[in-house]
Amino acid sequence: MRYNGDRRPETGDRKSVLAAVMILFSCFRTSASRLRFPFLLLLFSLFLSSCAKSTLDDPHQIVIWHQMRPDERVVLKQVLDKYMEANPGLKITALYKETEELRSGFQIAAIGGAGPDIVFGPSDDVGPFQVMQIILPLDMLFSKEYLSQFNPKALVYSHGHLYQIADRIGNHLMLLYNKALLPTPPKTMDQLIAFGEKFTRAPNYYGLVWNYTEPYFFIPFLTGYGGWVMDSLGNPTLDTPAMVSALKFMKALRDRYRIIPKSCDYETADALFKEGKAAMIINGPWSFGDYKKAGINFGVTRIPYITETGRWPAPMVSPLGYLVNASVPEWKIPEVIKLVKFLLSPEVQLEFTSHFDTIPTRIKLYDDPAVRDNPIVEQSEYQMEVGRPMPIIPELRAVWDAMRPSYQAVLGGTESSEQAAKQMQKSAIEKIKEMNE
Amino acid sequence: MRDSTANPVGTSNPSMSFWDSEKLSPNMFAYLLMIPAAVVMFGVVVYPFFYNVVLSFSNMSLRHFKDWHIIGCRQYAQVFSGKIFYTVFFKTIVWTFVNIFFHVTIGVSLALILNKRLFGKAAIRTLLILPWAIPQVIVALTWRSMFNYEYGAINLFIAHFLGMSPVEWLGKPLEAFSACIITNVWLGFPFMMTIALGGLQSIPQELYEAADIDGASAWQKFWSVTVPLLKPVMIPAITLGIIWTFNNVNIIWLVSNGGEPSDQTHILVSYVYKAAFNLYRYGYAAALSMVIFAILLTFSLVFLKRTRASEAVY
Amino acid sequence: MNSKFKIRNSKLRILNLVLYFLLIGFTLAVLYPIVNVLSISLRPADRLLSTSLKIIPEGATFDAYRTLFTQTPFLLWFWNSSLIAAAVTITGVALASTAGYAFSRFNFYGKKSAMVGLLVTQMFPPTMLLLPMYIMLLKLHLINSYFGIIIIYTSTALPFCVWQMKGYYDTIPFSLEESARIDGSTRWGAFRRIVLPLAAPALVITALFSFMTAWAEYVVAAQVLQDTSLFTLPLGLKQFEASMSTQWGLYAAGSLIVSIPAVALFLFLSRWLISGLTLGSVKG
Repeated sequence: MRYNGDRRPETGDRKSVLAAVMILFSCFRTSASRLRFPFLLLLFSLFLSSCAKSTLDDPHQIVIWHQMRPDERVVLKQVLDKYMEANPGLKITALYKETEELRSGFQIAAIGGAGPDIVFGPSDDVGPFQVMQIILPLDMLFSKEYLSQFNPKALVYSHGHLYQIADRIGNHLMLLYNKALLPTPPKTMDQLIAFGEKFTRAPNYYGLVWNYTEPYFFIPFLTGYGGWVMDSLGNPTLDTPAMVSALKFMKALRDRYRIIPKSCDYETADALFKEGKAAMIINGPWSFGDYKKAGINFGVTRIPYITETGRWPAPMVSPLGYLVNASVPEWKIPEVIKLVKFLLSPEVQLEFTSHFDTIPTRIKLYDDPAVRDNPIVEQSEYQMEVGRPMPIIPELRAVWDAMRPSYQAVLGGTESSEQAAKQMQKSAIEKIKEMNE
Repeated sequence: MRDSTANPVGTSNPSMSFWDSEKLSPNMFAYLLMIPAAVVMFGVVVYPFFYNVVLSFSNMSLRHFKDWHIIGCRQYAQVFSGKIFYTVFFKTIVWTFVNIFFHVTIGVSLALILNKRLFGKAAIRTLLILPWAIPQVIVALTWRSMFNYEYGAINLFIAHFLGMSPVEWLGKPLEAFSACIITNVWLGFPFMMTIALGGLQSIPQELYEAADIDGASAWQKFWSVTVPLLKPVMIPAITLGIIWTFNNVNIIWLVSNGGEPSDQTHILVSYVYKAAFNLYRYGYAAALSMVIFAILLTFSLVFLKRTRASEAVY
Repeated sequence: MNSKFKIRNSKLRILNLVLYFLLIGFTLAVLYPIVNVLSISLRPADRLLSTSLKIIPEGATFDAYRTLFTQTPFLLWFWNSSLIAAAVTITGVALASTAGYAFSRFNFYGKKSAMVGLLVTQMFPPTMLLLPMYIMLLKLHLINSYFGIIIIYTSTALPFCVWQMKGYYDTIPFSLEESARIDGSTRWGAFRRIVLPLAAPALVITALFSFMTAWAEYVVAAQVLQDTSLFTLPLGLKQFEASMSTQWGLYAAGSLIVSIPAVALFLFLSRWLISGLTLGSVKG
C-alpha cells in the first residue's frame, strides 16, 4: 500500500521555502537596517522558484481526481505505474477527492479554466456538470465500433451526448448477511422480520442494520412499494401512497418489530456488522473489502421482496466511470483519451473485478471465468437486475435535499408519514425552482 | 538591557539612512512598521471581496454558470424574503454566544487557576491545550460517536452515574444542536485559555499587593485589577472568536452530519455552503455572504466602540 | 498571630484542593475523547465506532502506526507541513510584532480604520472566498506552489496576531521606552530591546496561532496543491478517507501524531508564555 503517486518529486519549491524561512529568521534576529536586502532576495527567489501554471497546460502531466477507496487506489496505482512505464516522460497524478469536495472543487477549478484532466466517479455529477458545460462531450472522440464493445448501461448520455464511460456498473445496495449467524438468507420481508424478531436482543444483537438516516438507503423500500423519485420529465413524485406506505414500513421495522437499532447511521451499522452483532446489513459493493478484512464470512443476495406488494425492492443503480474536463486544451485531448482508453481496457477492468468483485462493462468479459464464476459478482448482478438506473439530471440533487429533512422527521417522530410525503414534494418543487432560476 | 552603549543600530552608515528610525518622523516610522502586514492583507483580501460583491448582484447559478450577468438586487431580495433566513439567523446567534460564553469563562478560569503556584501545573497546562492541537475532523467524529444513543460514552455516563434516562442526542433537533455546541466548547476553550495566560503575565504583582493593603477581597481584586488589565488582550480574541464562531461551518457539519436531523442544526454559513456547492446558486450564496458580512461588521463596530478596544489603557 | 496564620493556611489548603478537583475534572474531560482517538488507532479492521467502552480494544494492534511510517509518505507530508508552518510562523511573528507596535504606540492618520480593516477581513464567510482566491492564484501562476499558500495562511493569521500584539503592547507602560530613549537608544532599539522582550507572552501566542493556522489547514490546501509530492499533513490524512470506507486506524494514528508537534511547540514556548520576566520585575 503506497500512496505516493509521484515519480519525480519536485523539491525546488520546498528548498526555496526552507531558504526563505532561514533568511527571514536571520532577518528578525538582526536589526531593521539590514532587513532590506534579504527580504527582497527572499521575495524574488520565492516568486521565481514557485511560479506554477495550471497542470492542464502541462504536456507531461495528467491529473485524475477520483473517488476510489484506499484498497482500490493501490490497484489504480499499479495500473498507472504500468502505463507510465510504457509512456516515459509522462507523469500521472491520481488524487482522491471526497464526494462533496470533488463537486465543489471541480466547479471552482472549472470557473478558472483549470482543474484535473480526468474525473472518475459515479454518474451523479454528469447531470450538473453537463448543464454547466464543464465536461467534454465524448461522442466525437470514440468510434461507434469502440463504444459497441461496452454494456450499454456503461455509456452515460445526457441531452443526446455521451459524457461518461463507465468501467464498472453497480454501486447499488443489496443485502449482506453474516453466514455464521444466518446460513440461508430470507427471500421475503416476512421471513426477514420473523428471523429478526428471533435474533434481535437489543442493545447487543440486531437482525438487520443499515444507515437508515440517509434517503439513498431508503430507495429500495420506496420502490418496493412501487414508488420512485421523479417522473420521466424530472418532476418529483414524492407525495404518493407508495411513499407513505414505505415510510410506515420503515418505522414499523424499528418501532413495531424492533429488529433494527433505535438510531443507526452508517458508522453504527458498519460497526455492528463488523463485530458480528448484526446478522444482516444493507450496503453496497464498496463495503465488500472492509468486511473481508474484518474476517466476516458474508454472503450477498437481493433485498427480500415486500410480501405486501409482491415487489422486489429496487435500489438505484449507477455506473462509475471517467469524465473529461472541458478545459483540457485541444492539443492535449488525444493524450488524455489514450489514457482513458487504457483505463477502460479489459485487462484493467479484470484487475479491478478480481480484487473487488465489481461488475465490469466490457461485454467480452462476461464470459471470462474470473467474472462468470465469481459468486459475489453473480449475486450482485442478480440484485442489479431489479435495480433502477439513477436519473442523470441535476434535479436529483434537489430531490435528495428535499427528502432528507422530512424523512428524518418521520424517524424522529415529529412528522407523520402523510405530512412528510407532502412536505417532501413541496420542498422538492421549491428547490428545483430555485436551482433552475 | 537598557545599556545604551550596546546599540547595534548606529547612525554611522549613511547609506542606510532611509531605514534609520531616528531620522523618520514618528508617523513615518509607524507606517514603515505596518507596511509589510498591510501589503499582504490587502493583496489577499481585496480581490476576493470585490469578486463576491459582483457575484452577489449576478444570476450565476446552475443554468447560468459560464454566461452569468448582473441582475441587480434580486438575490438580496430572495435572501430576505425567505422565512428560513430568520430562523437560521437566530440559531447562529445562539450558537455564537453560547460558544463564546463558555470559551471565555472556562478559558479565563483555567488560566487564573494555572497562574497560581500549584504542583504539576505545567503538565496540566500542556494537557489542556490538546483540543487545540489535535486535528478537528477526528475529534469531531469521536464526539459524534460519544453521542451515540446506545453505545456512546455520554449516554452511558448519564444512565450510570446520574441515573437519568439516555438522551437521543443526534436524532432530535435541540439535542443535536447542543451536541454541536458541547463539541465546539471543548475544542475552543484552550485557545482562550492560552490568550488569558499570556495576558495575566502583563499584570504587575504590585497592583495586587496594593489592593491587599487596601483590604480588597479576592472578588474585588478580580474585578478591579485582573479584568481591566486582561481586557486589552482578551477583547481582540473575543471579537475575533465571535466572528470565527459565527462563520464556523466545520463542527456543525461533522457532528450533525451536514445539518441532521432535518436540516435543523444549520447556521448561516452552512446554508451558504449548501446553496453554493450543492444547489449551485452562486449568486444567492454570494448575496447571503454579503449579508453575513454586514451583520458581523455592524456587530464588531458596536462591540469595539463599547469596549474601546482600539484605545490604550495607560 | 500564629493561630491566624494557621487558619489562613488551612483555608488556602481547602481552596487548593477544590482547585485541584476542578483542574483534574477538566483534564479528564479533555483527555477522554483523545483517549478514544487512541483507541480507534489501535482497533483492527478500521472501525470508527465500537459498541464497547474498552479503551484498549480487543485484538489491539500497532499496525496502523507501522503502516503509517513504512507504507505511506507520512514523513514527507510531515516535512512539507513543517516547512509551511515554520514560514508562516516566522512571517506572522515578524509582521504582527511590528504592525502591532505601530498600532499601539503611534497616532497616525487612518489608524482606527486600518485596525477595523484588519478585522473586516475575517468577516466574510471563508467558503465563498475560496473561489476568488483560487482564481487569483491561478492568474498569478501560484497554483501548486507553497508561496501562494504561505501568503494566504499568513493573511489568515495576521489580523488576530496584530490585534493581540497591539493589545499586549498597550499594557506595557510607555515610560519604559521613554527612559530608554533618554538613555540614547533609537526608536527601533527601544522597541527591540525593551518592548519586544517584555511582550514575550504575546509573541508566544502569535507564534502558536500562526503555527496552528498553517499546520492543520485543509480547505485551501486541497484546492491549491495538486501534486502528491507537495501534500501537507491534513491533505495526506484525508487520503485515508473515503466515502463509506475510511481507514480509521490510519486516520486516528495520523491525527495523534499530527498533534504532537503542536503540543511540543507549546511546551517549548510556555517558558516565555509564563515568563518570569513580568513587567513588575523590570519596572522597579
